[in-house]
Amino acid sequence: MTVPDTGVRVEPGSFRDPGNRVFHRAGEVLRGLDERSARDWRALSASDLFRDLTAAGHLVGTEELVPTPVDVPWAAVLRHDRIPFVSHPYEWSYAMLRDAALLHLDVLRAALEAGFTTKDGSAYNVQWRGARPVFIDVGSFEALRDGEPWAGYRQFCQTLLYPLLIQAHLGLDFQPFLRARIDGVEPDQMRRLFAGTRRWRAGVPTHVHLHGAMQARHADASSSDVRAQLRAAGFSRELALATVRGLTRLVRRLDHRPGDSHWTDYQRTCAYSVPDRQAKEDFVDRAAAATAPHSALDLGANDGRYARIAARHAAYVVAVEQDPGVVDVLYRALRDEGEGRILPLVMDLADPSPGGGWRGVERAAFVDRARADLVLALALVHHLAIGRNVPLPDVLDQLAALTEPGGSLVVEFVHPDDPMARRLLANKPDGLFPDYRWDAFEALLARRGRVVARAELPSGTRTLYQVVMGG
Amino acid sequence: MTGEGRKAAVTHLAYLDAGSGSLIVQAVVGGVAGVAVAAKLYWRRLVTRFRRQPTDQG
Repeated sequence: MTVPDTGVRVEPGSFRDPGNRVFHRAGEVLRGLDERSARDWRALSASDLFRDLTAAGHLVGTEELVPTPVDVPWAAVLRHDRIPFVSHPYEWSYAMLRDAALLHLDVLRAALEAGFTTKDGSAYNVQWRGARPVFIDVGSFEALRDGEPWAGYRQFCQTLLYPLLIQAHLGLDFQPFLRARIDGVEPDQMRRLFAGTRRWRAGVPTHVHLHGAMQARHADASSSDVRAQLRAAGFSRELALATVRGLTRLVRRLDHRPGDSHWTDYQRTCAYSVPDRQAKEDFVDRAAAATAPHSALDLGANDGRYARIAARHAAYVVAVEQDPGVVDVLYRALRDEGEGRILPLVMDLADPSPGGGWRGVERAAFVDRARADLVLALALVHHLAIGRNVPLPDVLDQLAALTEPGGSLVVEFVHPDDPMARRLLANKPDGLFPDYRWDAFEALLARRGRVVARAELPSGTRTLYQVVMGG
Repeated sequence: MTGEGRKAAVTHLAYLDAGSGSLIVQAVVGGVAGVAVAAKLYWRRLVTRFRRQPTDQG
């Protein structure tokens, strides 16, 4: 269905279900429903299920616009509470993906008990408010037809269960698998990964091998025929619930900690002396207070120390860190504190999430989502400029692009004679980075904004700057 | 031997397409009662096939 030009921006990631589509207008997140989806919505919104899931914070806050706007071609229009920062499953840590899977199963179990089901089972149905997962696809609920298995099971396997199995059983980071394939990992690929004795690991014989074999065997059968046959053979709601319980038990068992193998990077924060750390914390706190940001971005967040300081002054903080194990530890800590305003994400800033899916815009690229009023780039520039050979002006261009005009960039320059910088330089040919000097760095900063604060750390080899960008 | 070398099935399923194999496997995953449902489904298919054959030939 085409939407006439009425100030509406259709969400490029929302087209897979033609019956309902998310769009943006005047800063609001709206969802248009066709006749059938509108009937499903009205049944859902009148139910205890909807009330309970919303009250528990498991379902994104949603209300219907009454009367229905006449300038859009939909039978009903819903307004959703805004998600502060939209992230993709390949930017989550292991425990985040696992909690997203558990939330999805919990929502499905409650739905089945109340006579509803979900049309799909995708990881993309879940978003985050800080360290709290929330189910956002209100358009996915429909009335349960008794005797039918869950239509979303295949998607659940491909985008949630299989990535968890890959990491828990094989010790491989799941993120590249999901980033490379928008629809997740297929059973056929999983069977190759889980050959030999690995086929006996928890969840693998049924959800991978049997599932894959069944798909191959029934590739030609129409799913509506199979539905009818299953109903006739006595498939019931109790059986559907038993499947959900089995999946929940399995996902709970997959309590793997990727942190065990990733802690090598931890010394990056431990390299600081106590006076340096104190001075740095004070500087970040003052800069954040002076900026009073709505949104903050901590690039290279590590254990989240500075993201937490930013959160004293910002409404919402996205804490980006390259090491999935470090992000996992941070996420677990934030989750246990019930933190709803700091979102930790896995991201290599030298290779941030590109646009993905249809036309490369179905899943927005990180740089197109991540503008913030306050950007922290602490102990980061030397990793990009020396460690990854990114030219210093390009590093600063990227940091400037991520900062809203008038917002603040708080950036740390690690001098070439700093022990950490020396270690990075020792791995590179001599004289490779003649422009990596503090005077060159300051000149580059001055060209992009106004330096409003500057502090040298007590060790004398690191300098902090607060730069107001383009304003 | 492990079945990986067999012909690749057409598994490029559309979004919102539950997939026939993915529906049936859920019965088996659901425990003893589910296995019974799956067995019944296959039994009925088998019976239907044998019943149909004489009529097809005649």
